Amino acid sequence: MTDYTPVHVGSVTKYVMVESFEITPADLAARGYEISKGVMIKETCFGLVINGKEEEVDRIVAELRKIDPDHIFVKDRGFPPGDARRCRANLGGARPGYNGLEFEMSILPYVSHGLEVLDKKDAKDVPPPEDPLEHPLLDIYKLKKLIDAQES
Amino acid sequence: MVKVFIYPATSLILSDMVARFGHTPLSSATAIRERIQTAGLESPPLQITPEEPKKGLKWAAVEVPAGVRGRMSLYGPMIEACEAAIIINDADLAFGCMGCARTNELIKFLVHQKDIPRLELNYPKNEEDGVKFVAAIKRFLTGLGGAK
Amino acid sequence: MTQPVRIAQLSCGPEYSGIQHEIDEAAREVGGEIFFPDVALKDIRRDFAKFGLDVKSPDLKLAIARAMALVEGRVEADAVFIATCFRCAEAAIVRNELRRYINEHSRLPVVSYSFTERTTSGTLLTRMEALTTIAKRRALLARETQKGLTLGLDSGSATTKAVVMRDNKIIGTGWQPTTEVLKSANEVIAHALAEAGVSRDEIQAVGTTGYGRFLVGKEINADLIQEELTVNSKGAVYLANRQHGPATVIDIGGMDNKAISVMDGIPGVFTMGGICAGASGRFLEMTAKRLGVEITELGPLSMKGFGGRVPMNSYCIVFGTQSLVNALAAGSTREDVAAAACHSVAEQVYEQQLQEVDIKEPVIMVGGTSLIEGLVFAMGELLQTKIVVPPYSQYIGAVGSALLASGFIKDD
Repeated sequence: MTDYTPVHVGSVTKYVMVESFEITPADLAARGYEISKGVMIKETCFGLVINGKEEEVDRIVAELRKIDPDHIFVKDRGFPPGDARRCRANLGGARPGYNGLEFEMSILPYVSHGLEVLDKKDAKDVPPPEDPLEHPLLDIYKLKKLIDAQES
Repeated sequence: MVKVFIYPATSLILSDMVARFGHTPLSSATAIRERIQTAGLESPPLQITPEEPKKGLKWAAVEVPAGVRGRMSLYGPMIEACEAAIIINDADLAFGCMGCARTNELIKFLVHQKDIPRLELNYPKNEEDGVKFVAAIKRFLTGLGGAK
Repeated sequence: MTQPVRIAQLSCGPEYSGIQHEIDEAAREVGGEIFFPDVALKDIRRDFAKFGLDVKSPDLKLAIARAMALVEGRVEADAVFIATCFRCAEAAIVRNELRRYINEHSRLPVVSYSFTERTTSGTLLTRMEALTTIAKRRALLARETQKGLTLGLDSGSATTKAVVMRDNKIIGTGWQPTTEVLKSANEVIAHALAEAGVSRDEIQAVGTTGYGRFLVGKEINADLIQEELTVNSKGAVYLANRQHGPATVIDIGGMDNKAISVMDGIPGVFTMGGICAGASGRFLEMTAKRLGVEITELGPLSMKGFGGRVPMNSYCIVFGTQSLVNALAAGSTREDVAAAACHSVAEQVYEQQLQEVDIKEPVIMVGGTSLIEGLVFAMGELLQTKIVVPPYSQYIGAVGSALLASGFIKDD
């Protein structure tokens, strides 16, 4: 067994994704580079990967969010940008997490819509979503109605 | 700021929402970051060594597969540390760190065992769901207090 | 430098068990390279539904989609390695079904393995070597006749065997228990050469196989150093004269067992090792010792008994021996005990290993244990087929090595 010496110790890495018709990852990158100040920024097909000291990364993320708050999403990443252990080129295919991200990207438009609506509306005035833990049985009167509807 | 465990722990949406509304998301990425930034023995790609499944024995017995115990060595400490949790229940396509259904069942069970504020949801399927989804999360996170 | 053999990995859990680098390492050591077939989310959704095995673990869904991408040729690979956690029922079902699916619908060689956090690259090496050999050396494995004067050596965990072959005939053999690996090898080679009436200098090519293959191969300057899975498959179909079509090769060895599903002499699916010592040739050796007979007498003795009268089915060699002692103390006959021991070994191999390969006739038993008639009989009963035990079956690895080594004879 070989000893492992970590690199980028004490740094954080964040994904900044953009889900918008108006802003492209390139726009985001252009703004990112302007304010980067020694922080590593890598452009990808869906947004940016930013690595550096936590305060610095948070400052840039906060600035970037301002561009389009309802369409920019941020998430932590375990590995620094371009790490060979997670790189598609080295693995032959995407790491499994990528497919999960792909799935959530398909949900983002609904979340963006929710954020837009809630910019103008108080969350208290929105009814709660269905409780996923409750599986209500079909109400007996509703069932009767359905049967009657079929028979008539 | 409250430490909020998110499920799926790899979720971009939940990670974003928790941070956006002023709290700290506890996610797979932070656990993996800790592994790869800690010196030890070389064990690519995730720097999870055969020692991790042994640490996982704290949450799952030895007859439980190594992959479950290794994953629990990442999630067990986070579940212990969390002060609130948001769970998306129909997360059937979260791979990798969330790729094992047996681990996922155990994670949810352990979160349910804790006496902490918890929000359970499904993924939104349309724009109307999206509004309810974001509103529920916002209400939950605001209600925790101490947001940054 | 030659291109590495591209081995597609279909798995759930190795990264989280801390053994992914052991898999990578084992592949690298035998000229292979592990990669993960690239699929998009839409492929996963479509193919998972199409395959029809409704598992819950997302990484198993991903493995299914990756397997379909390989079979349908959307992603190219030379071989497939399927790995899931030991003791996971859901994954075991997927592992078996994917292995069967790939085997039936493609020509890709497959090996499947269930790992724990203790799995090392050493454990995986022989399997990976077989995988890369099948993928890249089909021309070598296509050889059907032995030519010239060649020597084959099988340095096994229990015994060391050598054969000398000339123009498709075995002309000399040597056999002895393995003590010091090199010393045992030199002695059996000397015996085989003497019996053949040839000198070492006359030998045109040498092949080695078995646990000691690297050490011995280097020492005697072998032309071919090859793991026992492909060599034994080749040797088995050659000796049984079943070089074309399907066959199943079973080799119950001293330390581990091999079950290989073969097509035209080339392994398709195989399993190796995996069971405790209660299902090994060693257990039969201990049985013979306890019954006070030579191992060569155990077969005839067991054929006179009826195993059903003695309860014996322990995985463990210690507990198995205890059942044996108890049975004798309770008045069971030596014949019945011998038959029960043979049945116990056959049944465990049947239950735990043969389920992982598709049994196709003829079933060929090889290795030293194939000379124990009681064991062959018990296996035949379990599989409901007449088992083929070819001549020289105990020399299988050595014969396979001598046969394949003739491909290395330089034309003058």
